[in-house]
Formats: sequence, C-alpha cells, structure tokens
Amino acid sequence: MADGSAIRTWSTTPPTEWVVKVVNPDRDDAALVAESVAGHRDAFDVIVERHRRTVYQVCYRFVGNHEDASDLTQEAFVRAWRGLKNFKGHSALSTWLYRIAVNVCLNRVSAKAPITDPIETGDTFEDTRSEDARTTMLREERAVAVRKAIAALPKKQRATLILRTYHDMSHQQIADVLGSSVGAVKANFFHALGNLKKTLGSEP
Amino acid sequence: MNHLTPDELLDAVEGTLDPDRLGHLASCELCAREVASLASVLSEARQVEMPEPSPLFWDHLSARIRTAVRAESQPGGGWERWLRWPVLLPIGALALIVFALTTALPRQGMPAEQAIAGSASADVALSDDGWMLVADLVGEIDWETAGAAGVVVRPGTADQAALELNAQEQKELSRLIKAELERVKS
Repeated sequence: MADGSAIRTWSTTPPTEWVVKVVNPDRDDAALVAESVAGHRDAFDVIVERHRRTVYQVCYRFVGNHEDASDLTQEAFVRAWRGLKNFKGHSALSTWLYRIAVNVCLNRVSAKAPITDPIETGDTFEDTRSEDARTTMLREERAVAVRKAIAALPKKQRATLILRTYHDMSHQQIADVLGSSVGAVKANFFHALGNLKKTLGSEP
Repeated sequence: MNHLTPDELLDAVEGTLDPDRLGHLASCELCAREVASLASVLSEARQVEMPEPSPLFWDHLSARIRTAVRAESQPGGGWERWLRWPVLLPIGALALIVFALTTALPRQGMPAEQAIAGSASADVALSDDGWMLVADLVGEIDWETAGAAGVVVRPGTADQAALELNAQEQKELSRLIKAELERVKS
C-alpha cells in the first residue's frame, strides 16, 4: 500500500512451482530417476552421490589428472541430467552413466593430449619398512610409465582396457557401454595389451 | 601346429581358455610365452592405483555438479533464452529498419541531387503501414539487447551508408524521415 500501513503476512506454504521433498537415499536408481525426471533435483543429487566415485575414476583413468577428471565428471553428470528423460531403463543406470562418462572422455581426449599428474611424494605416506627408498622410487617410476603407455593407446583400446582392468566389467558390459560387439571388445583388449607390452618393453 | 588365436590368447590370459586348447598351450612354448607376457603386462597395469582424493574433494565435486545442474535447470538457461518476444522483437525491428534504410538511401556513384531526388521517390515505395510499423518499432528497440544478440554494424549496412553521406545528404535524409514520421502520426 502507498501509505505504508500495509501489514505484511508471510505465507507458510512454498510457491507452487517449488518441489520440496525429502529424498530417501535408500531408494533404488529407477525410483531416483523417475523422481529426477519429475523435477526433484534432490533425487538427482542422490544419484550423483551414489555414482560420482565410479564416474570420476573412469575419467581419471582416461586423463590421468584430477583437474581434468573433475571437469569431465561434472560434464558427464550435466549430460546425464539433460538426457535423463530419455533414459528408458533398458540398462542399469550405472551402465548408462558409464557410457556417458566414456563418451565425454573419448570426445575430450581426441581434442586434448592427456597430462598425467606428477608423482606426489610429499603428501602421501609411504610405508618403506619393507622396501628401500630406491625400490619405491623405481616402482613409482614404472607406474608413471604404465600410465603414460595407457594414455598413448588408441581411444577405443584405452576405454576397453580401463573398463576391463579397473572396473572389472565383463566383455558384454563393455560392449554395451561402447556400443560395440563382444568380438570388437576382445580384439581391442588384445591389441591394447599388445601395445602396452610393446611400449613398456622398450622402456628402460 | 595350430597356434592359439588372439581370442584364445586373451582367454588364456583371463583363465577362460577352452579346455580342448589347454593341451596346445601346455605343449607350445611360443603360445605359452605370449600368454605369459600378456598376463605380465595386464598384472602390471592392474597394480597402478589411482591416487585417492581427499575426503573434502568429494563434497566439492558434488557441489560443483549441483551448481552446474541447477544452472542447466534454470528456464531459458540455454540458447532458448533468445526465443523470447522481448528479444526477438527489437532484433526484428532492427532488421526491418536496416532493410528500409538500405532500400531508401541513395546508391553509391549517383550524383547527390539525383540521389536525393531518387530517395524521395524511393520512400514512396514504403507503404504507410510500413512506415507506421517502423515508427512503432523504433521506440521499442533495446539497443543493448540487440548488441548482446550479436547484431552489429557491418560494412555496407545502412548505418555505414548514413555515416558516409555528406552533410547535405544527411540533412535531406533527416528531413525525409522526420516528415514521414510526422505525416504518419498525423
């Protein structure tokens, strides 16, 4: 009111466009997807909490550093959010997220050469009681060499090796994620191991 | 001797080789050596651990994702925000004005007097409704919005043409536009 005598009243009910709901974190993925599609972003937060580590690990294995892996993980989840209404549940949500993460990584690595994190010796505690410092150093150097060799693999071979070696996925699951056949997955895995052998064999 | 195929070598590395072929593997040094070297590489790759981020990292990552998803969720957060009347109308008006001016202005190379005379007759080509629409839209244009939408002056546009007019031509153009706008208002 113009005279300033208006009495303000505060509504105790939220605006109708708000979606306020406490999401039960124990709900299964299908229920969380349905709630997310219905506009409950809190449900999507639970999906993120549940799958962030896996998605991040895939991304890290691809790019070899935390910064890029974080960016890729964020991009993967944003894409998942955008495409959630198209998720029909024919595969597990985790498989679908794997697929998105791998695609995001494949797109990124084609445009940018991976930069692996340097060996961090200052922040990590290393139990050297059972091996001397030189052995530890050699082991870490070898790990860096293996990471570099993996990073140098062709994209499909790298994706296959990562999913098979670090995520214990079956050939069929990898085929589902990559949209290829089991035969192609096995061939890629075989060639990936062969290339690693060749690269690491020439390492000092 | 029928050596193991790549598929079978992989099966042997993963411990799923067909029992019928195990006999060959046991007796063939070449295949056994190949399987051993592949298994060694795989074992070495498996030993490369991923550095575990700090516990705080996960909360930070979740917060980042939440923010990005919220931004994505805002209505019109993407390119769709340009498909709104408050944006489309000024852009459309600007395009119409550019079109009207470019068709009404004298062309390069014409003598000034002839050009002015020509423009005086050219404006007749614009109907009263056309001028009315232009007059209405001029008042509605939000230049900042148009600029933000990427509408810029390019060589050859009416704006540049207007700048290239000499003083007499500019005066005449101004008089013509004013006269036309007054005529429309009355």
